[in-house]
Amino acid sequence: MPKNDHYVIIGNGPAGNAAADTLRASDKLARISIISDEMFTFYYRHRLPEFLTGAMDADALTVRPYTVYKDNNVRMRLGQCVERIDPADKTLYLKHMEKVHYTKLLIATGGRAFTPPHLAPFRDSLCFMTRYTDALQLKPRIHDAQSILILGGDLISLNVQQQLLKAKKTVYFALNPDSFWPLKLTPGMAARIQKSLEKKGVASCVAGDIQDIARRKNGKLEVTLDSKCAFTVDLVGCFMGLTPNIEFILGSGIDTERGVLVDDRLRTNFPDVYACGDCAQIYNPALKDYWVSVGWHNAELQGRTAALNILGDNKVIKPLKQGVLEVEGLKVNTSWWKKF
Amino acid sequence: MANVDIVIEICGMAGEGVISGGEILARCMSDQGFDIMSFDSYPAEIRGFGKCVAHTRIGSKPILSPGKYSDILISLNDKHAIEQLPALRETGVVIYDSMPRAYLEEDESIAGWIEPGMTSYGVPLLQLSHKAAGDARGRNMVALGALAALFHINPDAMTATLKKRYAKKNQIVIDNNVNSFLEGFNWTRENIVKTDRLSFGGVRAKAADKAIMSGNQAVVRAALDSNIHLYAGYPITPATSIMEYLARQLPLSGGVIVQTEDEISAIGHVIGAGFAGKRAMTATSGPGLCLMSEFINYAAMAECPAVIVNSQRGGPSTGLPTKTEQSDLNIALFGASGDSPRIVLAPRSVAECHSFTCMAFHLAEKYQTPVILLLDFFLSRSLKNIDHPKLPDKKWLASNLAPSAADLKDYKRYKITNSGVSPRALPGTPGGMHVATGLEHNEKGKPVYDARTHTAMTAKRYRKLDHAAREIPRPLWTGDKKDIAVGVLTWGSTAGAAMEAVDRARAAGVRAAAMSPACLAPLHTADIEAFTAACRSVLVPEGNFTGQFANLIDGAVTRQFHRLSEIPCAPIPAEDIFDKIMDIAKIAKGRKVKA
Repeated sequence: MPKNDHYVIIGNGPAGNAAADTLRASDKLARISIISDEMFTFYYRHRLPEFLTGAMDADALTVRPYTVYKDNNVRMRLGQCVERIDPADKTLYLKHMEKVHYTKLLIATGGRAFTPPHLAPFRDSLCFMTRYTDALQLKPRIHDAQSILILGGDLISLNVQQQLLKAKKTVYFALNPDSFWPLKLTPGMAARIQKSLEKKGVASCVAGDIQDIARRKNGKLEVTLDSKCAFTVDLVGCFMGLTPNIEFILGSGIDTERGVLVDDRLRTNFPDVYACGDCAQIYNPALKDYWVSVGWHNAELQGRTAALNILGDNKVIKPLKQGVLEVEGLKVNTSWWKKF
Repeated sequence: MANVDIVIEICGMAGEGVISGGEILARCMSDQGFDIMSFDSYPAEIRGFGKCVAHTRIGSKPILSPGKYSDILISLNDKHAIEQLPALRETGVVIYDSMPRAYLEEDESIAGWIEPGMTSYGVPLLQLSHKAAGDARGRNMVALGALAALFHINPDAMTATLKKRYAKKNQIVIDNNVNSFLEGFNWTRENIVKTDRLSFGGVRAKAADKAIMSGNQAVVRAALDSNIHLYAGYPITPATSIMEYLARQLPLSGGVIVQTEDEISAIGHVIGAGFAGKRAMTATSGPGLCLMSEFINYAAMAECPAVIVNSQRGGPSTGLPTKTEQSDLNIALFGASGDSPRIVLAPRSVAECHSFTCMAFHLAEKYQTPVILLLDFFLSRSLKNIDHPKLPDKKWLASNLAPSAADLKDYKRYKITNSGVSPRALPGTPGGMHVATGLEHNEKGKPVYDARTHTAMTAKRYRKLDHAAREIPRPLWTGDKKDIAVGVLTWGSTAGAAMEAVDRARAAGVRAAAMSPACLAPLHTADIEAFTAACRSVLVPEGNFTGQFANLIDGAVTRQFHRLSEIPCAPIPAEDIFDKIMDIAKIAKGRKVKA
């Protein structure tokens, strides 16, 4: 009796879930496994700021309950960390010392909080939030804090400041143009965002980077920027953008740059290994360069396309034309970025 | 004061220290003042690769049953522990070895099966064991160290228990165990951030001087307290440990232990000793009881005292040697040719294993009849902390009705009396010579076969049971006393689960009660009738397939019962009984509304 295929998806975000749905729809017999280092089921990551301030409860964050996976015979391996990949042997090595063999592998691990090296000394004084676990740990601290300085200025930070203002917190913003991901801000754009934030109620929005953070005896943090501005706050949130979550791939032989390098059919340089979503850099033969498309809908599209190719199709990925975000009055296209 | 009720399972392979780990945990928590109930399951094979589970329930309130679900699962062997996961609560905690010898193959790691809501803590059990003890044998102690660190168990108390447990071993054994425990404790405290909510901390349990023993140990203690002189037996799970314990202790008090060639011989020895006036006991399980049945008949007919402990296991035949069941009721009551009276006692707890065994020796001697004690694998093997057992009443230690001088003038060994009890002359008593025979006999013991004698003698033998019933405790009735929506009628070791289920049902607003007889022959029928009359519905849970107890009372009480006859290879859980009570209550409520 032939052994059924085992499709393994690393990542439990929109790309991974769209891929699992597509695979199951076409192959009823295959084993499908989703591996995620988070212990939680598929959730709306972009709504974490609302959960953080209590505007939304955990149940509302959930995209689909765990039972759906059981009903679809999709094995969820949650809270499990892939330590390394042996693509030649088609084997994943999990941190808890278990081997998982795959027939086809899809890497859809998304990104994690990026901390620029110069902020490393202040890491213990900073708060980060890209995942549910972060939000869960940060929530009581946010509840107790009155004043918060947001450092950076990526898309999540803008959402967080909105929710903090709604929760009647005093919000300061230190806008760091270099950190702004997915786009690098021009001085003009930065000025417009600054103005927009202050108009919405941010106590002070200045440009600059951290020079020093000192903790006072009363527990407050005294933050000095390189522009010599100083803030005394309860918390400092660091939102410098995301970096692809691909450490476990390094050394495996799978080509990476900042993300996993794939062709326009989302194939890596190893047969039967695919990548998609925020962790992938996709080659465009016309541009002769790698490009990236971010956002929920682009991730889903890529997940579906990767799954179809895993099943034997030969689909070329094309980003969504209508992928546009509005950020503080600025329109940002989520597709066809050529830089991370 | 916060209450705590936590079930911990240690799961591994035979030989990995699962059972000893569970026992140490139970003893430590008992010493700390918690109520505990511990129950092990292990393979029928003596040693090798079978699955072992040490199941311990620890609470700040009295524990009546082992609990169906576990809160914490310690895996010493992932392959076996994965099979235990369905018994872990959805919010349960798993402690596993995060650094086994090599990568495990796919699906062989328990960490790969953790579901949302559960918490897992990886601890390098093997690595820490090697560090502390030089080999892998300390993994169970490392795991206990991790458990203590995570759930706030006093490490000093645990090391004290360890030292006590291994006091008779070499110092190196004590050191290795203590060091392994401390290694696990310290590593976990330094490396693991606790994210679950279970804890023994903050619970001010009242330290008490309690005895901790299994049902079999309680039987042994009671036998010694009752001046047993001879034990004869043939090894059989789960009764073997009775012989093992007695082999160590009985000779110290001048007693004799005989490992016979089979069960027939064992019961023969016991009846012979009884005839000679020496207190004697045997212990067996279902297959052995089958073999003993003819000799038990002989004891009934010859009116010789005999105490027979039958620890039930899954059957029929050799069946399921290491699984509990309550399916020997029929053979205990009816495994006989002719009308064969016997007393059948069914202890409901470890404490009653002691008190009922004392009572069994007394009844056997006073009423010159076989007495069967019906334990089961669960009761025999489960550890429970109990108040120190009391010594039997002095009258119980000299129960025999010796013949008077007048009796001996024309001695009638089987004299027909009002109570049915005849003066019993022991061999060597001048004038007391008589024949003890399995043939029907007249008052002097001479074989006779006429209908009048047979009827009179049979009635005499059964009359003894009527009198015995008066001094045997009446059925235990707990919960509501009137207007009972659901009454639970059960027996033996299921009684604890029934009482717990009734407590829960009453807390949920259902008027409920539980009753369990101490004695199944003779049966306190009037009490059972009174109980069933007070109940709108009656549920009879028991650990056998055919509902042997329900069938028994069906013949004694005109009443329809809801049956819960299960053979889950484990004690019937209080949760299942509770669910059934609630179902019955709902149905009854629905009927009432419709009416």
